Amino acid sequence: MQINEILTLERTLFGVPGGSKKRVLEYFSKFIAQQIPQLDAEEVFSRLIAREKLGSTGIGQGVALPHCRISHCDQAVGTFIRLRDKIDFDAIDGQPVDLIFLLLVPEEANEAHLQTLALLAERFSDEELRKELRKTDQPEQLHQLITAPIPS
Amino acid sequence: MKIIILGAGQVGGTLAENLAGEENDITVVDSDPNRLRDLQNKLDIRIIQGKASFPAVLRQAGCEDADMLIAVTNSDEVNMVACQVAHALFNTPTKIARVRSAAYLSRKGLFRTERGFDIDVLISPEQVVTNHIRRLIEYPGALQVLDFAGGLVQLVAVRAHHGGPLIGQELSALRQHIPNVDTRVAAIYRQNQALIPKGNTVIQVDDEVFFLAARQDIRAVMSEMRRVDHSYKRIVIAGGGNIGERLAESLEHEYQVKLIEYSPQRCTELADKLERTVVLNGTATDKNLLQEESIEDADIFCAVTNDDEVNIMSSMLAKRMGAGKVMTLINNAAYVDLVQGGEVDIAFSPQLATIGSLLTHIRRGQVKNVHSLRRGAAEAIEAVAIGDEKSSKIVGRAIEQIILPEGVTIGALVREKEVLIAHDDLVIRSGDQVILFLVDKRKIREVEQLFAVGITFI
Repeated sequence: MQINEILTLERTLFGVPGGSKKRVLEYFSKFIAQQIPQLDAEEVFSRLIAREKLGSTGIGQGVALPHCRISHCDQAVGTFIRLRDKIDFDAIDGQPVDLIFLLLVPEEANEAHLQTLALLAERFSDEELRKELRKTDQPEQLHQLITAPIPS
Repeated sequence: MKIIILGAGQVGGTLAENLAGEENDITVVDSDPNRLRDLQNKLDIRIIQGKASFPAVLRQAGCEDADMLIAVTNSDEVNMVACQVAHALFNTPTKIARVRSAAYLSRKGLFRTERGFDIDVLISPEQVVTNHIRRLIEYPGALQVLDFAGGLVQLVAVRAHHGGPLIGQELSALRQHIPNVDTRVAAIYRQNQALIPKGNTVIQVDDEVFFLAARQDIRAVMSEMRRVDHSYKRIVIAGGGNIGERLAESLEHEYQVKLIEYSPQRCTELADKLERTVVLNGTATDKNLLQEESIEDADIFCAVTNDDEVNIMSSMLAKRMGAGKVMTLINNAAYVDLVQGGEVDIAFSPQLATIGSLLTHIRRGQVKNVHSLRRGAAEAIEAVAIGDEKSSKIVGRAIEQIILPEGVTIGALVREKEVLIAHDDLVIRSGDQVILFLVDKRKIREVEQLFAVGITFI
């Protein structure tokens, strides 16, 4: 699964006010329920919170990849958010987070979804990419940077 | 984590103390400015003065960003309303409330139903204390008995005494002494210093030994450490309040129970409610009453009135008059250490007991059970291993391969209701309930990370 299959331009956001982990996940839940009406904001929020309790998805270097299974979701849905201010995300390296890629997957998530997560983690481990993502204020460019095919 | 604690009393204060040291962001709300100031003088916390259930006060305390709300003010009503406000206005993910009154607790539809209060966890200190005392009575000679995995596994603290077959011998000798029993000694405290037990550790008189075993094996292991007291039969309870009543109710069918209560009116009530307990009207510190009721024949005297002084004095009196073992409830947690070990055999505070139940819900990962030990310095926890070999740091690995923080031991696992004592070659599977002992509770963060799943867990 390529990243351009799950991330649309409408779901590439920047300058989102941070505040706290809770507030950002809450903001996202409301946002995604507006975008995709069959999703329930409360379910998204409580599932994301439950997943975070099992282990933070803050993978270090200011990046987090919150994700969860969700009912009434027939394919993986990605959303990218760049926060205006960094927030504490209980990340592995203890550093605050500003680059967040959220992934909702169907209830019957499979190996392909696992690989998407691994792919995202790898993508965001690129220091150059993170630098670019923090500089750009053009949604198109942000979208392009994240979804560009990985040079092999 | 961002945590708001409502109430700066003993439970709120102790909780703040426990959590402030663990990279948490703590805000304490109370209506009493003096209590708040005292707390802020010793801890790195934020304080807000005001009525804890008011939306404006909660907002000011940072409820919009908080991961958790813990309502432990003295008022059930304030605690319940505060949780509901947090739910309705702030969408707070986890809400915990202390609710004492049976009038609320006994109504099932009141909590966690569509129309009821949205409270994730209810803590009732009276219930916690009653369970605590009950378990101590089940095992004569135990200083502390803690349940894990719904009581399948227990952790027992016992003081080694002359007459125990293992005294003066290496721990490894246990295997020969009781070949059919599997147990794991999790920690030994000698003159208040923690020792990490090894096979060649020699048990000495007065060592405080913490061991884990399946419930049915506890007695066998205890009898290795000390001559086991005969089973208890006669129990005298002083104080017919909430705790006294619950305790009498849970014990009266297996033991001969006498209950001393000061108020004649309350005595009538108790006599009606309790089936087999003998209810006596009088003061627990009355020497004549204790004499008339032949206190010297009592195996246990348990003082649970709401007055620390009455509890301590009546316990000392009962002990001097020949009661077998005395247990004393002390509300002021600071006195527990002073009192225990002298004439009072076991002293406990409802606050300390409650802290453990609260901590259970605050820990990250799949932590199911937390018991605070040694006045909060040590912790015993139960956590569920989840994930697979890729996403977990423990699943699929033998215990000897797992790198544990210093002072942390894995004591036992429960796998589908079966108790497995942790030997080096035992491989952990997903779903196992793992019981760990932490000599230093500051290692909790590292243990949580060990159990946390990696990014590839969906």
